[in-house]
Amino acid sequence: MTASEELLLYRPGTNSVLTRFEKSLYDLIKGLRSHKGGEDEYIQNSLRECKAEIKSQDMDRKATALLKLIYLEMFGYDMSWAAFNVLEVMSSAKYLQKRVGYLGAVQSFRPDTEVLMLATNMLKKDIVSPNIPSLSLPLATLPHILTPSLSMSLLPDILSRLSHSSAVVRKKTIVCLYRISLVYPEALKLAWPRIKDHLMDEQEDSSVTTAAINVVCELGWRRPHDFLPLAPRLFELLVDSGNNWMAIKIIKLFATLTPLEPRLTRKLLRPLTNIIQTTTAMSLLYECINGIIQGGILDGEDNLQERDEVASLCVGKLRGMIVMDSDPNLKYVALLALNRIVTTHPMLVSMQQDVIMECLDDADISIRLQALELAAGMVTSDTLLTVVNRLVEQLRFVSTSSPKELFVPEAEDFENRKVSHVEAEATMILPNDYRTEVVHRILDICAQNNYSEITDFEWYVGILVQLVGLLPPLEMDDYWYQSNTTQETVFGSKTTVAFRIGAEIRNIAVRVKGVRLEACQAAESLLLVDNRPILFPVGSSVGEDVLGPISWVVGEYAEYLRSPARSLHSLIDPGNIALPPKTLQLFLQAIPKVFVQAIRACESKDSWKSEISLLLARIVEFLESLAAHPDLDVQERAIEFLEVLRLGSDALRSEACEVPFLLTSVIPSLFGGLELNPVAFTAQKKVVLPPSLRLGEAFNDDLPGLFHCLDSSLSDTDQHSTLQDFYYIQDPSPPTNKPVYDPTGAGGYLDISYQNTLGEIPNDSAGDKPRSERRERYRDDPFYIAPIGVPPGVSAPSHGFLGPSSGEIFDIDTIPIVDLKLEDGQKGDVRGEPPGTRRHQPRKLEVAGDETFGVEDPPVRDSLLGNCGVHTGNKRSQSRGFNPGGNGEGDAVSPGDEGDIEMKKAMQDVEQVRLRMQRASERIHLEGTPAEGTLVKKKKSKKKHVATRASHSDATSKGGEHLEAKKKRKKIHRHETPEIA
Amino acid sequence: MINAVLVFNNNGQPRLTKFYTQLDTQTQQSLIAQIYHLVAQRSASACNFLPLPPLLSQGATSSSAAGPSDAPTQITYRTYATLSFIMISTSTESPLALIDLIQVFVEALDRMFENVCELDLIFGYETMHAVLSEMIVGGVVVETNVEKIVAGVRSQEGTTGKRKAVQAASTSLARGALPGLGAWR
Repeated sequence: MTASEELLLYRPGTNSVLTRFEKSLYDLIKGLRSHKGGEDEYIQNSLRECKAEIKSQDMDRKATALLKLIYLEMFGYDMSWAAFNVLEVMSSAKYLQKRVGYLGAVQSFRPDTEVLMLATNMLKKDIVSPNIPSLSLPLATLPHILTPSLSMSLLPDILSRLSHSSAVVRKKTIVCLYRISLVYPEALKLAWPRIKDHLMDEQEDSSVTTAAINVVCELGWRRPHDFLPLAPRLFELLVDSGNNWMAIKIIKLFATLTPLEPRLTRKLLRPLTNIIQTTTAMSLLYECINGIIQGGILDGEDNLQERDEVASLCVGKLRGMIVMDSDPNLKYVALLALNRIVTTHPMLVSMQQDVIMECLDDADISIRLQALELAAGMVTSDTLLTVVNRLVEQLRFVSTSSPKELFVPEAEDFENRKVSHVEAEATMILPNDYRTEVVHRILDICAQNNYSEITDFEWYVGILVQLVGLLPPLEMDDYWYQSNTTQETVFGSKTTVAFRIGAEIRNIAVRVKGVRLEACQAAESLLLVDNRPILFPVGSSVGEDVLGPISWVVGEYAEYLRSPARSLHSLIDPGNIALPPKTLQLFLQAIPKVFVQAIRACESKDSWKSEISLLLARIVEFLESLAAHPDLDVQERAIEFLEVLRLGSDALRSEACEVPFLLTSVIPSLFGGLELNPVAFTAQKKVVLPPSLRLGEAFNDDLPGLFHCLDSSLSDTDQHSTLQDFYYIQDPSPPTNKPVYDPTGAGGYLDISYQNTLGEIPNDSAGDKPRSERRERYRDDPFYIAPIGVPPGVSAPSHGFLGPSSGEIFDIDTIPIVDLKLEDGQKGDVRGEPPGTRRHQPRKLEVAGDETFGVEDPPVRDSLLGNCGVHTGNKRSQSRGFNPGGNGEGDAVSPGDEGDIEMKKAMQDVEQVRLRMQRASERIHLEGTPAEGTLVKKKKSKKKHVATRASHSDATSKGGEHLEAKKKRKKIHRHETPEIA
Repeated sequence: MINAVLVFNNNGQPRLTKFYTQLDTQTQQSLIAQIYHLVAQRSASACNFLPLPPLLSQGATSSSAAGPSDAPTQITYRTYATLSFIMISTSTESPLALIDLIQVFVEALDRMFENVCELDLIFGYETMHAVLSEMIVGGVVVETNVEKIVAGVRSQEGTTGKRKAVQAASTSLARGALPGLGAWR
């Protein structure tokens, strides 16, 4: 352009007269380079100068300042404040200044930039400029700054550019129209017929056609139906054009169209195979294969033979790409394509196992990751052992080589790459996130389909123990772990790979009875303090997360331990106090269980007394140190067990000749009972809430208001009694903190189902009047929650919750707990639950009500905190302990601990046993009841308690059915496990 | 579509940033930093595809499986001498074609600057933007022919880009062309 050549004299950045007075971009860059270390200060100074310069009346100065700002923006220095000045420069009459202005707009404007509204007229003017470079500026800039209103006002002008004589303008206009239609969809109605004309026009410049194809390809996946009519023309272009860039896009487009039009498949098959067989361009070859896969051409039923031929042709070519002259890019994309094929043609892919396995050891992490994914996808029981062993070997090799050596980013010349390739392979240190990914994958591979591919579980347990030692020293960044296939995220808390390993050991111990011994001993060996330096990665605490789940295994299956005493010492090692609270909670739960086992081990010895008292003293010491632990769960459990064990040591002191009954029977009975079985992670969700239970409803809409007057009310009321009143008092007399419905006799209470209780429960209507009085009285009391939907008859402090019978207030009776149970019973054999339970009174599981009173009732807390595993153990121990004792206290406690869904048979058994027990006041051991194998679950077994507890409480009969269906499905898997084992 | 084109040198200093999807300046900078971090870990023999950095990987994995979408799913990079060229794109672009596109970009720059080197691109910053806008408009590739691209830029500014860059560079540091360019094609 001659005009622009003339303007060169005034160009910002050239040695025009003006640059003597201020810095040009060149000076700025030079200055930056000479202020190494003090760049920021230099930049801040320059920014200040720019701020002054850009306000200048002189357009050259302004443009120079803007150019500098754009340059600094690239380094992250905000220039949005200069938006108006950008507009000023854009409106310059000189092209090169205008270009700076437009560049500034591209780099710094956002759709919410306010000055955009002022730009409309100027843009309109530039779009119709006769000068092609000037006209191109708005076309290239608009996509970055478009807003619906801007699009609307500029659309007519831009449309007119489609008929411009220059192909450059036409192709940019087409793209610009595409971007307009994204923010302003109506534009497409006007623009599409014109774009289509250009696409159909065989005389059109090829770059315009390509641009149109590119745009159609972008629009294609958004609304594929609209583009089906184009198929003949696309087909023609694909076969005849000879332009690979365009062909790639057309194939991409066809891949989105073929699923809608099966006839296309037949038509495409031949040309595509033709291209695959003849083309020399790898990108086109790859896209053809990719198009065949993504377009579902391999998926249909008809023409089977032809399809199989195509499939094997594709896989063959992909294999070639992997093997051939080891171009890493081809390897990578071939694996990418294989990863897509593997879902439909696993057999074809697994035939390529040899080359894929080689890629597992590739020097390039990207390739390895793809191969890893592929390996996970195609593993069968035959290949699992090989693949996993290979991966473990890889990890072991890495961890033995020097961890200090880092992979240095090489800046070597392109020519030297071939040489360095070989060296890189030898010295390669795997990044930690990759190693973590490998461990995750190994676990995925082994655990898939409920361990259906594993034939040798003892081997698997061994692998798991090895993996603990091979954990990478640093925990990976959270984001790297994307394949969350096994739902290990418990209630939103992140699980580390170490925790997963622990959870796998626990899973195996729970599900596969055949190797429970091995799993338990593996857990024991990991737990022992002496072993930790050997089995865990050196000098890092990364393995600690594994301790939580394995301590549960050690506790729960303490009878399998080689040396309970050693395990116990490891559990109460003073160093453990520093462990994370979640782990400690599980430790605390395991301690008494292992202790019980340790007692059994030394019972027969002569020195039993001293040994036991020594153990007890140590445990008590450990628990005491945790009694003031900042984590409430840890603290609570520590104190609970502390008290129980203190009783034990008292008993030990008083009796002389034999191990006290408390230690031999009572404490063990806390933990004896039926086996825990896994429950589906999602089981809880299947439980349908009864319609009358409105958990989402606010107690009081004006809660803040209530809190507002907190002070005044506090001054005249004793806080404690107010709380008590509110929560527990049915009638107006405040001092009676006794529950109105205090169960009169343990037996009577236990016997009644919810439905039966109705008659016996004091009728709530009696409390109606007092309630209204109380309402009046506490109207201003912040602790008195609302008249709206408050269930008035609430549980006693001892959790002896008895729903009030009056349905309109709190209709707990509609929760058909009995229904659920009966149904369970009918399909007893279908459900995966063991017939026995560790509870006696499933009927009392009416925990539903307590959802309303979150703070007070343990079951609610369980579900809220999601810390089910731990809580459950706690609950279970209570129930085991107290109920068999048959005392009133235990009975009162019981509702909190219920949870399991039982089969009818099981229920009856338990019921009978319980009644007998109550009569005879003797303990029962439920262990004898046959367990029916394990339920499949994604999550740990402990889930069960929560899930089932809630299901008891919440389930309507419908919910029961849901659950039923779920279980049925699960059971199919379940039975596989023991068989395999 | 192409979501962004980035160029930075071995130290992670940006030489060109062009985002076709709107991002605020801070996010742009952290994305550049994350991608640089990934590129810096690559060996010379590694393939030209990067895993998604954290900023992009959130939620992207599920969508990429379901077919095309607006979410960026692939990052293609190529390193020439001291500079790395990065293209962030959605799944509608072909990964291998993107590698070629980077090559076309570098070839066009080489034609504009005659033996292009990092310094040329620093001082010929505007010209680099002009070359790119001849190739890609609004994230869509409009031209892949080097001749046409160069002609388009020349029609805007003649040979000033080169002149300016030579002028600037000759005063300061020694020039070295981007090696490896000839090795391709």
